[in-house]
Amino acid sequence: MMLAAILLAAVPLPELKVELVPSPGRLLVQMTVQRELPAEWSEALAAGAPVGITYRLRLYRNRHWLWDQRVAAHELVVKAQRDPLTGVFTLVAELDGEILASGQVGSLEEAIRWVTNPPPSEITVPLRTEPLLLFMRAEFLTHYKLLVIPSTVGTEWFQFAVPELP
Amino acid sequence: MSDLRRRWQRYRRQNRFLVGLYVGLLVLAGAGYALFSRMAGLPPEQLTNRLLTFLLWWFDLTLIAILLFILLRNFLKLALERRYGILGSRFRTKLLLSYLVLILVPTGLLFLLSAALLSGAATAWFSAPVERMARAGVELADGVRAEAETRTVRAAQVIAGRLRVIPSQPARLTELERLHTELGNHLTGWLRNGIPVVELVDPRQRVLQRLAPLPVEALASTGVRGERFGGTLVVRAWQRLPDGSVVLVGEALPEALVRAQARLAAGGVAYEHLKMERPTITATVVLGFGGLALLVAFAAIWLGLHLSRRFTAPLLALAATTQRVAGGESLEQVPLPAEDEVGMLVGSFNSMVLRLRERDEELQATVRRLDTVLGAVRTGVLTLGAERTGVRGNPAAAAMLGLPELARGEIPLEALDAAGLSRLAETIRVAGGSVRGSLTVYPGGLARNLEMAVVPLGGAEQPEGWVVALEDLTQLLRAQRQAAWSEVARRIAHQIKNPLTPIRLAAERMARHSERSSPDLHDVVSQGCRAIVEHVQSMQEMVDSFSQYAKLPPLARRPTNIGELAAQVVTLYQGVRQGLRVELADHSDGREALLDPEQFRQVLANLLDNGVEASPEGGLVLVTLDWEGNETVVTVTDEGSGLQVEDSELLFQPFYSTKGRGSGVGLAMVQRIVTDHGGSVRLEPNQPRGVRAVVRIPGGVS
Repeated sequence: MMLAAILLAAVPLPELKVELVPSPGRLLVQMTVQRELPAEWSEALAAGAPVGITYRLRLYRNRHWLWDQRVAAHELVVKAQRDPLTGVFTLVAELDGEILASGQVGSLEEAIRWVTNPPPSEITVPLRTEPLLLFMRAEFLTHYKLLVIPSTVGTEWFQFAVPELP
Repeated sequence: MSDLRRRWQRYRRQNRFLVGLYVGLLVLAGAGYALFSRMAGLPPEQLTNRLLTFLLWWFDLTLIAILLFILLRNFLKLALERRYGILGSRFRTKLLLSYLVLILVPTGLLFLLSAALLSGAATAWFSAPVERMARAGVELADGVRAEAETRTVRAAQVIAGRLRVIPSQPARLTELERLHTELGNHLTGWLRNGIPVVELVDPRQRVLQRLAPLPVEALASTGVRGERFGGTLVVRAWQRLPDGSVVLVGEALPEALVRAQARLAAGGVAYEHLKMERPTITATVVLGFGGLALLVAFAAIWLGLHLSRRFTAPLLALAATTQRVAGGESLEQVPLPAEDEVGMLVGSFNSMVLRLRERDEELQATVRRLDTVLGAVRTGVLTLGAERTGVRGNPAAAAMLGLPELARGEIPLEALDAAGLSRLAETIRVAGGSVRGSLTVYPGGLARNLEMAVVPLGGAEQPEGWVVALEDLTQLLRAQRQAAWSEVARRIAHQIKNPLTPIRLAAERMARHSERSSPDLHDVVSQGCRAIVEHVQSMQEMVDSFSQYAKLPPLARRPTNIGELAAQVVTLYQGVRQGLRVELADHSDGREALLDPEQFRQVLANLLDNGVEASPEGGLVLVTLDWEGNETVVTVTDEGSGLQVEDSELLFQPFYSTKGRGSGVGLAMVQRIVTDHGGSVRLEPNQPRGVRAVVRIPGGVS
């Protein structure tokens, strides 16, 4: 029991936890970031700067002899900003530019929890006979290597097979 | 042809431009689409930053691609030109490399320095003091709010504590009014089921009257919340009582303080926002500077290439022309017009070319005249270079030597050996200075007698070339030989005719006396036979002389002490005539001469014969031996009557005699022997009287 606990502790958690709930013609995607956010991101949020996490979702059609075909792309942008006068964190989640959810919390921990565990996103899944693949990642910041080469700070791309829709 | 070529080049240029334009538009369209796709979902401020960064990236990348294309194209072109040895490629390579070093190194250093300075400036701007100030603004706002929250929470707790121990509502209201005044609250309220039972507001804080009620039923039993309202910050704390009612205490911060806090907080937020965008700003500025540096480098390189082409074009045209001139092509002027120092150089070159053309034309005219003269003269002329490996000749020489290719151009000297002219070739090869000699050649099987003279050009020390003059003496010698034979025939006839007449007369006299049976027939026959025998004997002597002259053996030259030889001959003639002295004056100092002693003994004997015969009684015949340079000089003088004929050369002709007796071949033999030795003989008057014969024989031995 103790050994199992040690082994479980030793296995790192995936950076992005994803739960897929299929429904007719749609797919409910619940994403949770399980890695620590960059310090400058947290500090900026605490200092009142607007920050956010962009969740990118890419739906691909698997093809045997050709490269996979992208059939849909979605962006879930979760933004957070603290009002330095009231100390209240304002949170907004937008899916493809449309507000999905919003809220206010009073502490940094709550705000981070809200942002790293955004409301589930419901995306439309086109009807296909071939298996579909869902690629996802979360992006936090943009850095520049050698001052000028853009580099995104975020999780790796995670690939999931889209379950058969009922 | 040139018009077609120009049209083709124009078509190619237009075509290349159209293809380039099409590709450029395609790339721009693709980039625009990608940019639009990427930027569609970005907020405006990020869109501005990223669009600027993106555009700068494209600008820089385009400039880098163009620069690399230009440089690679030029380097590839230069590499190919160097490989094929095209004139000027090395110079242009050095020029291009120099330009690159001079442009790229300072530009690159300037860019790196600027990037480092900008990066450092950005880091310095986001320094700890500035950050502390920005943070302090936010913390101040937090602190003021926290203090208000603490005050309101404590007031709510105090009021709730008092109300718990007061059971009746009127007493609670009285106590609530007293505490509201005593605690100095801006807002004191008592709510039951979310509805205010009483709400006391400080008249100075009217803004609180417009405040929406808190949904305290949905909130926790105690808490505090700050809200922006009416230009100020309102802090409300609540405390739930055991009976479910809620005590509410509120405080509105002064508007001026809130405005100041808001400004400080906004500054802090802006700072944090800017700090997050710092990498993008730095990248934008660096890319901007990079683009500027690339633009400068591009302009400088383009200008450098243009100037190098402009500067080198006249020089290369000049170099190409001089190379063609040096390669032996026709003299031509550089057609490229220029007005600077290079133009002066081109002008000087063109003037030089003009003068050279004039000189060349003069030279060619001289050569044509010389060719005409050499083609017209009957003297054969051969010319050779200083190395004497090739020979060319005029038509006369070609005809003399039977080598027509001599007149067509230069042939190797060995060709003379192959044509049977080894002696001529060898004479030319070994000649150390001017050489003269005779030569017999057989072109076409016919003998030709040539007189040859080999002369060095420009001095014998370091000759610049050689000239060989050939004179055909065949006709002359043939005529001389015919004349000589005619003279010989005439003289033989004369010599034979002289004894024949007395013989015929003696025979006719004997015949007449025999017919008449003359008593003195015996005497007549005896006298006639004696006369006939004498004249026949004279004819026999004359025939022997002819035979001796004709049968002179070939020379057998060997080193001979000419003093001893002369002494032996002189000794034979001493006492040959009474009262005649024959003496020898030997100044040869025992030196030896290269000659045939037997034939030279004959020379001395013949000269002494003539001297002894010509000298009167009591006279002196003197033989003198001397050396002049490399020649042996033998002089025989007598004291006779001197020369009898004006032309002393006649005396050396065979069968010519002034003595009325003898065969007349003595001096002829002398001349022939001396000539065969390569020497000379001449007769001249002796002073005060007599004749002096001077013989010169070359080839002395030390």
